[in-house]
Amino acid sequence: MKKFIKSNGTFVALIFLIIALSFLSPSFLSSRNLTNLVRQVTINGIIAVGMTMVILLAGIDLSVGSIVGLAAVVVTLLMQSGLSMWLAIIITLAAVGGVFGFFNGFMSAKFDIHPFIITLGVMTIARGIGLVLTQGVSVPVRNMTFAGIGSGYIPKLPSLIILVIALVLGIFASIKDSVEIKNGEKVKNKAKLTGRIILTASGFAAGFLIFIGYKGIPVPVAIFSVIVLGGVYTLRKTKFGRKLYAIGGNEKVAWLSGINIMRTKTMVFVITGVLSAASGILLASRLNGASPNLGTGFELDAIASVIIGGTSFMGGIGTITGTVIGAIIIGVINNGMSLLGINTFYQMIVKGFIIILAVMIDVLNRRETA
Amino acid sequence: MAEEILEMKNIIKDFPGVRALDHVNFKLEKGEIIALVGENGAGKSTLMKVLSGVWPYPTYEGDIFLDDEIIRFKNTREAEEAGIGIIHQELNLLPDLSVAENIFLDKQPLNKFGGIKWNEMYYEAEKVLSRLNMDIDPRMDLGDLTVGKQQMVEIAKALSLDTRILVFDEPTSALTDSEIKELFRVIKDLKADGVSMIYISHKMDEIEKIADSVVVLRDGATIGDKINIQDVTIEEIISRMVGRDIDNLFPKQSFERGEKTLEVKNISIADPFNPEKYLVEDVSFSAYKGEILGISGLMGSGRTEVVNAIFGVYGKKREGDIFLNGKKLNIQSPADAINNGIALITEDRKELGLLLDKNLTINMTLPSLEKFSTKLVMDHHAEKSTAEKYVDELNIKTPGLDVFVEKLSGGNQQKVVIGKWLITESDVLILDEPTRGIDVGAKTEVYRLMNQLVEKGVTVIMISSELPEIMGMSDRILVMSEGVKTAVLEREEADEETIMKYATGNKGVE
Ligand SMILES: Nc1ncnc2c1ncn2[C@@H]1O[C@H](COP(=O)(O)OP(=O)(O)OP(=O)(O)O)[C@@H](O)[C@H]1O
Ligand SMILES: [Mg+2]
Repeated sequence: MKKFIKSNGTFVALIFLIIALSFLSPSFLSSRNLTNLVRQVTINGIIAVGMTMVILLAGIDLSVGSIVGLAAVVVTLLMQSGLSMWLAIIITLAAVGGVFGFFNGFMSAKFDIHPFIITLGVMTIARGIGLVLTQGVSVPVRNMTFAGIGSGYIPKLPSLIILVIALVLGIFASIKDSVEIKNGEKVKNKAKLTGRIILTASGFAAGFLIFIGYKGIPVPVAIFSVIVLGGVYTLRKTKFGRKLYAIGGNEKVAWLSGINIMRTKTMVFVITGVLSAASGILLASRLNGASPNLGTGFELDAIASVIIGGTSFMGGIGTITGTVIGAIIIGVINNGMSLLGINTFYQMIVKGFIIILAVMIDVLNRRETA
Repeated sequence: MAEEILEMKNIIKDFPGVRALDHVNFKLEKGEIIALVGENGAGKSTLMKVLSGVWPYPTYEGDIFLDDEIIRFKNTREAEEAGIGIIHQELNLLPDLSVAENIFLDKQPLNKFGGIKWNEMYYEAEKVLSRLNMDIDPRMDLGDLTVGKQQMVEIAKALSLDTRILVFDEPTSALTDSEIKELFRVIKDLKADGVSMIYISHKMDEIEKIADSVVVLRDGATIGDKINIQDVTIEEIISRMVGRDIDNLFPKQSFERGEKTLEVKNISIADPFNPEKYLVEDVSFSAYKGEILGISGLMGSGRTEVVNAIFGVYGKKREGDIFLNGKKLNIQSPADAINNGIALITEDRKELGLLLDKNLTINMTLPSLEKFSTKLVMDHHAEKSTAEKYVDELNIKTPGLDVFVEKLSGGNQQKVVIGKWLITESDVLILDEPTRGIDVGAKTEVYRLMNQLVEKGVTVIMISSELPEIMGMSDRILVMSEGVKTAVLEREEADEETIMKYATGNKGVE
């Protein structure tokens, strides 16, 4: 049991948080509220997936919030200028997310400058461009299909089918993952298996209660899920993922082992840039338009989700599942405090303390295992 | 003399998956130097960590008596205060601080405002260093000293505390010959002052030179009693260590010299801190199929730099050309070298060889990721079974493939580095101090492996500071001194004297 709590600590914390809130505020558990909550989580969560990879490299990306804002502006303006929706989206992903991400990664890797500096610069540059393009005022979209991406739902029946398939696949993967080879024999890691199955089952239960009880799975949530699965898969099953962990563990060793540091780093920042742009597009779609200040401060929530999710600031250690739980915790806290009528100023204070607490836990854990 | 000052009784220490110490008994007399020997992972470092408070009571079982009084340290500071100092296998100093600060780390002399009394500290530091006959300026940054000098600082640190028992855990693995001599002189002085010492080493000649007695550990238990060094031969010690006789320390096999494979021409590397000087100057040589090319020279002679240059570490800063099988290679990075079939086992396993907080499998397969993945997916099973194969082949002592390599003993870590590069199956294998820190039995295993590789047609180049190893295993020996090649000797003409002559700067003709 102790082992279980330790290896799934943030998840346990989340459950406690949910239980506490459901007592404190009766409307918290309503399908409607939870659907909204989850939808909010996706905006931050998509960015946080990229941020996890950046922090795994012992880096940081401060420009994500500005990229969200600029992407929202650009996609809106492109559509206003008469471009078709899909073309506008693709151009925005590439020109805003891809280009700025490439710049972040290339500059910091090529000239060995800490990404903190480069992305701080890009943070202002991107924001500035957004303001120039809009002259500082909001710009509206009038395209129903586009609005449907951010606020639409997958109908209930297909939603249910998707959930069931996810449950089956999830359990299957849990069993496969918990098999470890010891002394040539296959043994089951029971703690891991229980943890995974509980996680999968509660994910299904939550999905069922939240979405089927309301209007089905929101489209952004579906997009987010695909991104998360892609991220988890990349980190765990591909060479690229392995290289990330190696560079974060010890860059010099990784380089001497033949890993192309510059290419890997640049790639990670490109991914993060594109994901941030995607998040910005979703936001524009939900709000039916964009204002140049959209996304301000988003970098903080993304970084906080990653850290709360157990990724180490020193690089090399962390998972995307952890980050997703971290993002949900942040979402629950935001949502819960709003329901309880706590004003946003106090919310900031509380969030700050939670971030510090999460880092403390990381540091103490390290000390214990050292 | 027989004045016993330390006794460790029935010490047991468990780690997840391994019992590192199993009822160990150990006694030490005043002024005695005990050599503690055993295979990699036998538990030597662990026993000393128990003694010096790194593993505090009650993380171990059993009792430790100091002057017949039971002691139970809660941390290393308590052990230091009781007069037990340890020079760890891996140095433990802070390179950015001054020598004096390192010596007095947490006990700097303070004035009444809590400020450090710098002059007093420098003075005291000078005093301890002069006890070691060391001419080191206590104001210097520690990082600017050679490893040997740094080690002296570590000894000074221990001595600044009235140490009565001093533990050396493989102290000479990174020292030059003259530094080793200096260390032995210091050890003898300390012995004359009545300090008792425990000396861990895999180098039998050292043990013969300075130890009074020998204790052998195998699989966490002592084998036989403490023996007087006069009453035992090196062969007997070795067979107690490994549990079998080793009749030939250097099982050299000779093969016919084949065609020329690797050829380097006019390699130079400028000193980054002093562009007028060269770390390596105009070095050219060739290596052939069917032979082992040894590279010898004193520390700082440019040996490591030459092979690093071949491996692409200096990127565009390298001058000169590299050819493989007659084809000129364009090597700008380690990745280029690896893709061209060149592997380099680096000398510093902790900083350059291993991802310490990653598991054994990940470490071993890192340079060969391509082998274990299709376009998209990695084949974790293939990866694991390859790692397992090399764990067996190299006899790596580990509780499993998922263990973080930092949890392995020093010698077993070294074997992981070797395995990591064997998996690449490169055509050219360069080994920089490959047997540093590994035990006698394992050394012969590594040599056998080198034989096999040569037989298979791999070009093998080995750098070593140990002359017996260089002479025992090389077919030809390239000697370097101060960045230039001074000689290439055939196996038959290479004796200790000749190599040393060229290594100390005597330029010969080829
Ligand atoms: N911190 C640790 N956690 C887990 N296992 C450990 C730890 N330290 C040592 N071990 C295990 O204890 C055993 C003894 O290790 P130890 O470092 O004492 O060996 P050693 O005799 O010093 O070997 P070497 O000659 O290679 O330095 C090994 O099996 C090692 O894997
Ligand atoms: Mg050791």
